Amino acid sequence: MSALKTTLTGYAGYRGREGHWSFLLHRITGLGTGLFLTIHILDIAFVYLAPNLFMDAIKLYQSTLFGIGEIGLVFCVFFHGVNGLRIAYIDMFKPAAWTITKQRNWTRTTLIIALILWLPATFVMVRNLLIHNFGLFGG
Amino acid sequence: MTATTRTIRSVKTPANYESIAWKWMRYSAFLLIPLVWGHLILQDVVVGVHNMDLGYVADRWANVGWRIYDGLLLAFAFAHGVNGLRQVLNDFIHKPTGRLILNWGLFIFWLSITVIGFIALIGGVNQQFPLQ
Repeated sequence: MSALKTTLTGYAGYRGREGHWSFLLHRITGLGTGLFLTIHILDIAFVYLAPNLFMDAIKLYQSTLFGIGEIGLVFCVFFHGVNGLRIAYIDMFKPAAWTITKQRNWTRTTLIIALILWLPATFVMVRNLLIHNFGLFGG
Repeated sequence: MTATTRTIRSVKTPANYESIAWKWMRYSAFLLIPLVWGHLILQDVVVGVHNMDLGYVADRWANVGWRIYDGLLLAFAFAHGVNGLRQVLNDFIHKPTGRLILNWGLFIFWLSITVIGFIALIGGVNQQFPLQ
């Protein structure tokens, strides 16, 4: 238990600004995606193992709560991917850029790219929710 | 003023379990960028969850190309995810016994879910068509 406490207080208390935040965000987005992926493999497995349960799972995914979760998931996947590309790119082609000041800018750019990818997708998903779950836009 | 040169030191060490796992995290990551982003944009944005049912999955899996695509996703994404979880948990579990249990536990977890996924992927939609 002491390892748990030490690590968690380290995560929370360390003041590494952008580098620290992107480390935490990379972990949270990765764990979030992994959690959904586990559930998703099992719900798709229902198409063979229990087709009726699959339809129940799809209905759950079409609910507003899961729709909001889906929008969060898409951000997780985009941020985790863009941030992973940043790390791999610097490692392989630009190791001289592994300095705190340079990475502050790289990290901000990473977040902006992830948001640029996420926003149009979110627009479509919010629109779908409003059409199908709230009867707006002729739904 | 004398010119200075930067030398990058590289040390060759024999590969071990952890270094192979680390390399595969990166290889799978490169594959997952097109695979997962493509899957996400297609299913969540272009098609949308409101247009999905058993028939949609059946139509999609009628094409063997999509089954291979989904098989690659299942193989690489879930392994990447479970190894990532292992790396996170290594921050919290330091004792050799704990790590041994962690490694085996996660290996069994990864294997069971992957096998379940492939059974469905190969078995396909288990329902007579047209749907009642």
